[in-house]
Amino acid sequence: MRRPDWAPETIDIDRPSAARMYDYFLGGSHNFAVDREAAQAMLAAIPETPLIAQANRAFLRRSVHFLVEAGVRQFLDIGSGIPTVGNVHEIAQAIAPESTVAYVDIDPVAVGHSREILAGNDLAVAIQADIRDPDRILDHPEVLKLIDFGQPVALMIVAVLHYVRDEDRPTEIVARLRSALAPGSYLALSQASGEGRTSAEWDQANAVYQRTDRPLHNRGRDEIAHLFDGFALVEPGVVWVPEWRPDSSHAFEEAERAIYIGGVGRLG
Amino acid sequence: MIPDPDAMPYPLATPGYETTAPAVPDAGGGRHPQSPGLAIFARAWAKAVTGTSYLPVTPAQLEEFLEGLTIRLVEALYAEPFSLRRGYQIGAALVGAHIASAEGLGRTIEVIELHLLRDLGLAGDNLRDRMARLLGCVAIGYTRALRDRTLDEQESIRRAAMVAREHAEQALRESEARFRHQATHDPLTDLPNRALFTERLEAVFDRDGASGRRLGVCFVDLDGFKMVNDTLGHHAGDLLLTSVAAKLRRGVGEHLVARMGGDEFVILVEDTTCTDDVLKVADAALAAISEPSIVDGQELHVSASIGIVERPVAGTTPSEVMRAADITLHWAKSSGKSRWELFDPERNEREVTRYALSSAMPAALERGEFCLDYQPLVSLCDGRLLGVEALVRWRHPKLGVLGPDKFIGLAEETGLIVRLGSWVLAEACRQARHWIDLSPKAPFVSVNLAVRQVRGPGLVNEVTSLLREHDLPPGRLQLEITESAMMNGADESVDILRSLADLGVRIAIDDFGTGYSNLSYLRTLPVCELKVAGSFVEGLRAPAAEPASLTDERILATLVSLAHTLNLTVTAEGVETAAQADRLRAIGCDAAQGWHFGSPMPPTHVDALL
Ligand SMILES: C[S@@+](CC[C@H](N)C(=O)[O-])C[C@H]1O[C@@H](n2cnc3c(N)ncnc32)[C@H](O)[C@@H]1O
Repeated sequence: MRRPDWAPETIDIDRPSAARMYDYFLGGSHNFAVDREAAQAMLAAIPETPLIAQANRAFLRRSVHFLVEAGVRQFLDIGSGIPTVGNVHEIAQAIAPESTVAYVDIDPVAVGHSREILAGNDLAVAIQADIRDPDRILDHPEVLKLIDFGQPVALMIVAVLHYVRDEDRPTEIVARLRSALAPGSYLALSQASGEGRTSAEWDQANAVYQRTDRPLHNRGRDEIAHLFDGFALVEPGVVWVPEWRPDSSHAFEEAERAIYIGGVGRLG
Repeated sequence: MIPDPDAMPYPLATPGYETTAPAVPDAGGGRHPQSPGLAIFARAWAKAVTGTSYLPVTPAQLEEFLEGLTIRLVEALYAEPFSLRRGYQIGAALVGAHIASAEGLGRTIEVIELHLLRDLGLAGDNLRDRMARLLGCVAIGYTRALRDRTLDEQESIRRAAMVAREHAEQALRESEARFRHQATHDPLTDLPNRALFTERLEAVFDRDGASGRRLGVCFVDLDGFKMVNDTLGHHAGDLLLTSVAAKLRRGVGEHLVARMGGDEFVILVEDTTCTDDVLKVADAALAAISEPSIVDGQELHVSASIGIVERPVAGTTPSEVMRAADITLHWAKSSGKSRWELFDPERNEREVTRYALSSAMPAALERGEFCLDYQPLVSLCDGRLLGVEALVRWRHPKLGVLGPDKFIGLAEETGLIVRLGSWVLAEACRQARHWIDLSPKAPFVSVNLAVRQVRGPGLVNEVTSLLREHDLPPGRLQLEITESAMMNGADESVDILRSLADLGVRIAIDDFGTGYSNLSYLRTLPVCELKVAGSFVEGLRAPAAEPASLTDERILATLVSLAHTLNLTVTAEGVETAAQADRLRAIGCDAAQGWHFGSPMPPTHVDALL
């Protein structure tokens, strides 16, 4: 049963949180024992998980760089996570200080932490919302305060949609968000693919996330590419994230083991 | 001068860690650090720490940063005197640059130890010793910074969790409050709803149940609200309800006003000292409601009826109170609306009994609980028994024998009167036959007819077949109808009476004198006897000398002579004394009935009279 509108979510920090596990994989300490314990189980399943998370986070960094260079000054970052290191506003505002960022996450603790980090930054906000309810995000007064949908917006949906079930129609969610965007807007998206790993590895990984607040729903490359419908993909298209405009020789050694597939598309 | 590394910005986007390092002392043939060896070493270092944790920079930026740190390492290595602090600062700077993990430290020490001197071609006195001490300090500075960072992050995530939890709890409380409000209030008027009212009423009982305290309840219902809805529409109806709700709330002050649904409201008056306390509230409510309401620009005037209950809390229950209030509301409605009525336990008792009787009656008729008594009708000329009036009785299993005044009205309300009347008629005919068989002096039997029976279609057939069934001469049956029944009677009733008279059945007007006493009207009816109501006869009990008594006697005399003119015989009812009988005889009255001549009696007693 879906929670009725009037009933707020309860905070259950006795349950591993995907957001805090991700922080752990990136090397952060914004996590609790339950998270670390689940993260260890994940490491047992896929030992390179920290490198994979880092590769995804690096994709986020490079895509924000690219988008600022492309002239975008507004960022709607959905599934933004716990602000650890290298957050969208830090990357964007370092290059273009006037850039505005609206962070959206379903995890109330992640949002609480974001608010703390953003205190004093007038150009960034954090709201708690569910990507499965795109209208709420698009109509949210805090979002509208910073994001002018009449101007190009960079829509960031990085490492989020693998927490959204097929029944919740991720393609339609993205399409709905796209419909609010002005021409010249971009979509940067990545998600965990079901490829490049043995099914035993996946079974183990899925079992770990089953215990968390956000079970995994991996998708194939074609399905991920489909999420960009309506956008014109920029080079090099939808690829393993380490292969997306790599900036050094230190790239992930075997890109096809990086699990995350993603890309950037432009709205004509 | 060496800049404080803690104050140095980490090169995030803008490359160019500008080293302000002075020329490194050329200690023992050492080479200047900005040699190609510096870049080689920095690259090796960068490679070693990449992947140990997420670094939010490009590899090029990382190498540049590490080149700067390398210069500081070399400076620290040669500094005179050796400074621990420089080593600490370098360790902290690494953590500040997010190279912040156990692996980050391990690999850093390894790469410095293995490559620094060699790649940069450094040499000098005690260099090995200095290196060991420097690495120790780097490790200390690094670990301290890492621990601080870890603790900070832990603290901030815990705080975020706490704040989030507080938010969630607050939201939960608010939504609970909202939900509770929704669950306990009427959405249209925002008044408390039935649920809340019930809760409050029950709370009064829980609290005051054993005390001497009293409470009052006003059950309010708008008069003619349905009309408003039907003629002006539901929207107007809703506006009216909202307006009335607001007035009520204002009008009755601190007392709880709830909307029970539709146009019903209820006011809870707690802790009353006497009935008057509630009456005042009811008056205020009526006054508030009677103020005109503006609905859709129209001035609407409505009134309301109120049922009031006021009693001690002890000894009653919430549902009893509500039922009593509801009953009383109906009294207020049926006694003309726009008023309050106060609950009257005796009236209620009567109504309850009536209700119980009327619902038990059909089965009682089936079971044969009814029977007939007969009261003699005696000739005033010669004292002969002319006839008997059949009077129905109900032998109630619990209440004993009930007279017709206890149940005929109810039977008329429920319509059972038709079946009961038929039973009486049939039984009386059977009995009449019995007496004919018994004696040549057998009396005629007089049976009361209810209005409904006279209006019903089958009466003539019913009487015809009864006469035939019992081979009863029609003149042995007399049917009594009341004056008022005849006056209100439609033409068809008159036709029915005429048909009955044509059969030869006697028709009598019962209770004459209590209605219009319209003698001229009687002329057109096929009537052969008038029964003068007992109230007239009563006047004759007083001594004949009294003026009032004389007047009654004159009226009766006139009546009798008029009746005789119309060829009607006159029977006086309710004759109780010999004196009355004498005076009636003197007037010329034909027959009489009453205690003086015999009370109603079972048929077997009549047998004895024959
Ligand atoms: C792996 S983190 C990604 C963080 C950041 N975007 C990045 O790529 O570095 C995924 C985040 O998505 C959030 N998330 C999961 N399901 C979500 C949903 N239905 N709506 C919004 N956020 C969601 C989680 O709470 C978590 O913080």
